[in-house]
Amino acid sequence: MKIRFFALALLAGLSLHAAAGPTLDRIRQRGVLVESVSESYPPFSFLNDRNQMDGFDIDVAREFARRLGVGLKVETPSWEVLSAGAWRGRWDICVCSMTPDKQRAQVLDFVAPYYNSPAVLVTSAGNAQGQKVSDFDGKRIGVEQASSYERYLKHELDAQDGKPPVYALNTTHIAPYGNEDLAFQDLALGAGKRVDAVLSNFATAKGRMDKFPGKFRLVGAPLYTEPNWIAIDRAADPEWRATVVRLLDEMRHDGTLARLSQKWFGRDISG
Amino acid sequence: MSLPPPSGASGLFRLRVGLVWAAMLGGFVAFVAGFDLQLGFVREKLPFLLGLHLTPEGMLQGVPLTLLVCLASMLGSVGLGFAAALGRISGSALAYGVATFYTSFFRGTPLLLQILLIYLGLPQLGPVPEALPSGIVALSLCYGAYLSEIFRSAILAIGAGQWQAGLALGMSRGAVLRHLILPQAAKIAIPPTGAMFISMLKDSSLVSVMGLWEVMFLAQSFGRSSYRYMEMLITAALIYWLLSIALELVQGRLEARFHGGQRPAA
Repeated sequence: MKIRFFALALLAGLSLHAAAGPTLDRIRQRGVLVESVSESYPPFSFLNDRNQMDGFDIDVAREFARRLGVGLKVETPSWEVLSAGAWRGRWDICVCSMTPDKQRAQVLDFVAPYYNSPAVLVTSAGNAQGQKVSDFDGKRIGVEQASSYERYLKHELDAQDGKPPVYALNTTHIAPYGNEDLAFQDLALGAGKRVDAVLSNFATAKGRMDKFPGKFRLVGAPLYTEPNWIAIDRAADPEWRATVVRLLDEMRHDGTLARLSQKWFGRDISG
Repeated sequence: MSLPPPSGASGLFRLRVGLVWAAMLGGFVAFVAGFDLQLGFVREKLPFLLGLHLTPEGMLQGVPLTLLVCLASMLGSVGLGFAAALGRISGSALAYGVATFYTSFFRGTPLLLQILLIYLGLPQLGPVPEALPSGIVALSLCYGAYLSEIFRSAILAIGAGQWQAGLALGMSRGAVLRHLILPQAAKIAIPPTGAMFISMLKDSSLVSVMGLWEVMFLAQSFGRSSYRYMEMLITAALIYWLLSIALELVQGRLEARFHGGQRPAA
């Protein structure tokens, strides 16, 4: 313990002189910021027609790289690998639409929120019965496995800002899917066939509704809003954390975040 | 007991087999055609799946990456499997113990877990391996364990008389193994080994958890990003199928080559 304390004191002393820190040194040395992100979460991150990773998250990460004066490298480990933490310098930052919870916060350091996504209930367009959210009490709801939406349906969300969450749905049958795509495909068969609705976030649901007009519709108002945070490795140095906070603040104040949000969603969700 | 028809049978037999294939293939095509697929989308993405382009980071992707991972893992697994098979039939308690533990662990645990143990676990000890070598090592270890049992049974299938004859001629045990046993055992081992390699070809898609853009990763990513999931899955299926057929052809060649010198069973 003593040695660790001394090492920390030494680091703190050094950082007064050189505010860079090991992570920033590594980024400068490589000449690239390494962003880790899910490979298929449109429109936040997805493989575009030119075989490149694209989307809101990628644009925000690129903005970090630009402000650091380095290039951007995007890597796409699976969500399990990414959210297991202990990155060992493989990745520098995760602008990856992650919502913090207690378990994840044990292995990753959540630095700052960068957008809010409303959670919405989607049903098939031809479903005449389900008009308001409460009509789906006791129905079968599809969600992505291990997502915060699944925890919402289980009434297991963490309190945010000290406020306990309010649950608009009760005693639902939860249908967890390996990925949201399959949940929506099942919903497209018609509500009641395999699922009655899918709980997802507004931005991805809107992308799908635009792509398949006449297939899906929203039910009522958003159920709740959840913040998505930028994450870094828990083992990262405090200088890197401070740098990320400072750069994100800059992007918020000079309107960059709002502009990127407008570009991808047609409205500002960065507030 | 009726014998299976010999390969290269009469022309009529081959014609009828061809007709059966055509009918079943037609049924598959009809089934797939019912999905309302957009072939234009497939045509657009096919060059990426076939790996005619590098990733934005300048890395192999698609079919060439899958083939690289598989070919390297085939070599690694044959080496490991052979070593473990020799360990199993050796008199050394150490070699026997190591070989049996290795075979038991790597056959008895999921490949995904082995990949993650190497990729996420090794860094706890110091080295931080890259994704590609991690995947090759994991596939080699896993399939080496299966192959060791195939190789062991093939070696044991050669009668004791062969050993006795070789030793009686004054050959060393190593020489008997190399010159008498292995050429005969290879013939027995090739078909099941080929089956393992075909299985490996498809299991190699698990390396995508480390962010490697192999065939299945690209198919799923393009499919989900464009909401055209079935198009991409079927394209990937056809690619894997064609690669498997290529492997079957290689296997057939090898079988034919090792078939020489075999007398029909008495």
